[in-house]
Amino acid sequence: MSLAIIGIAELPTKRDPERTRWDMLSDVCMDAIRDAGIDKDDVEAVISVNPMAQAQMALDMALGRVPEVLGLKGCKDICVLNSGGTSTTNCLRLAKYFIDNKQARFVLIPHTTVQSDIPTEDLINFFATAPLDPQWEYPYGVTFNGAMGLITNRYMHDTGATAEQMASVTVSLRGWGALDPNSIFYGKPVTLEDVLESRMISTPLHAKECNFLADGAGAMIVTSHEIAQELGRPAAYELGHGVRFTGATPVLREDPYFIKAYRESSQDALAEAGLSIDDMDLRQIYGAYPFTQCSALEGYGVCEFGEAAAIWAEGRCGPGGDLPCTSMGDATGRGHTGSGVSMAFYLDTVRQLRGEAGERQVADCNHALITTSGGSVMNACTTIFGSAPR
Amino acid sequence: MSDYRKPLPQIQPFSEAFWEGTRNNKLLVQTCSDCDARIFFPRRQCPECWSTNLGWTEASGKAEIYAFSVTYEGVEAVFREDLPIVLAWVDLPEGIRMQTNIIECDPDAIEIGQQVEVVFRKVTDEITLPYFRPVQ
Repeated sequence: MSLAIIGIAELPTKRDPERTRWDMLSDVCMDAIRDAGIDKDDVEAVISVNPMAQAQMALDMALGRVPEVLGLKGCKDICVLNSGGTSTTNCLRLAKYFIDNKQARFVLIPHTTVQSDIPTEDLINFFATAPLDPQWEYPYGVTFNGAMGLITNRYMHDTGATAEQMASVTVSLRGWGALDPNSIFYGKPVTLEDVLESRMISTPLHAKECNFLADGAGAMIVTSHEIAQELGRPAAYELGHGVRFTGATPVLREDPYFIKAYRESSQDALAEAGLSIDDMDLRQIYGAYPFTQCSALEGYGVCEFGEAAAIWAEGRCGPGGDLPCTSMGDATGRGHTGSGVSMAFYLDTVRQLRGEAGERQVADCNHALITTSGGSVMNACTTIFGSAPR
Repeated sequence: MSDYRKPLPQIQPFSEAFWEGTRNNKLLVQTCSDCDARIFFPRRQCPECWSTNLGWTEASGKAEIYAFSVTYEGVEAVFREDLPIVLAWVDLPEGIRMQTNIIECDPDAIEIGQQVEVVFRKVTDEITLPYFRPVQ
């Protein structure tokens, strides 16, 4: 059982309705195949990330358009997988099954999302209704920002984290984004004052601590460890994986900050990899809201509960820090591309492990931990990647 | 016809009693007669033991704020007239946590741990929504 990512491509996150979904998808698929150094007809399966809020695109992908458009003559089968923000994670899991069973040597995993051509009112409705209960939450004017603001408020109450410390998370995430040509915030860092003085959306979340919806596309080519080594190209090798489910409805969760899910999923992943949390050179946390950048570190055991916000405030997790976290920027530092955020997380992890992260490159990055989550953090899916197989 | 245009709860067969309760200004908590679980939100079967032998107990109407957030923008157009909206999770002494709005309050004065009480607002002939307000 093994999985390696050998080819990647990404289009910069933007709001640009002139970029059509199929143009974007074709570009990233072709570039990922070229980056892997294989022929298009070597791709034997296409497992697509479900594009949220884009029903027609989801249907097109589910019914086999991708290999047809790209002329992938070796393709044996296709599938679209949907678990919200963890869709990409499930694509990797199914790809592993195809590869392990010798059904496919190379699997293409593409994603595209265009939200800039969807009316704002429809997007608010989608994000208010998709992850929230229509009977017990929706009638109360709940938004994603409101639900996550509520949890952030309680997190600050329980940990003593200050507004300045919480805002520092966004400063660091935007710090990564400012150095990243793929971020919508490239060249646009923010200060603590910028965050704290931005409009209050849902207490305690200011506008800059909330997600900015944008368009994006990414793709990767995966294969086995053995084939990746035969090809002799730099790759990211999956070394371990662990998952936990937290529940669909925020108010019903016993673990509101997902600490247990972060802890147990990371412990399983690290045990499979034969590594410890201290061996990680980079931690990539997809939580979409800043408090998760703190509670994940507490769950992983990097620090005790209540200590993480101060660590972020010291700048240790941002660019140049001694505990680099989330160089991808998370949704608040890169732009939220629906189910594409997790795709971008994996792509950035591959860049770091291949030493291709430019100004954001983490020194001697050989082991990275990445956690993705779907819905309103209904789950924590933690994977360990290395620059070499075990 | 009601002129209420905000989203209404989509009532399910097993939650009808809850909404009948609110119509009569009663806050009901679903209970399992077999394992004594207190269930929120109401289900078809007990999530603990799968029993369908379920009943209802009337709540006192008192609760404590576990967490809250005051929303100033970003809601759907129909909710804009209500801004700022105080979204809250409240703990009932009957053993459940539910999501609601805190109303009839100064949003800046809301605190975690604050004592609140249920207040019913009839929004249509069929639906009366339970909200909470600070205990005076």
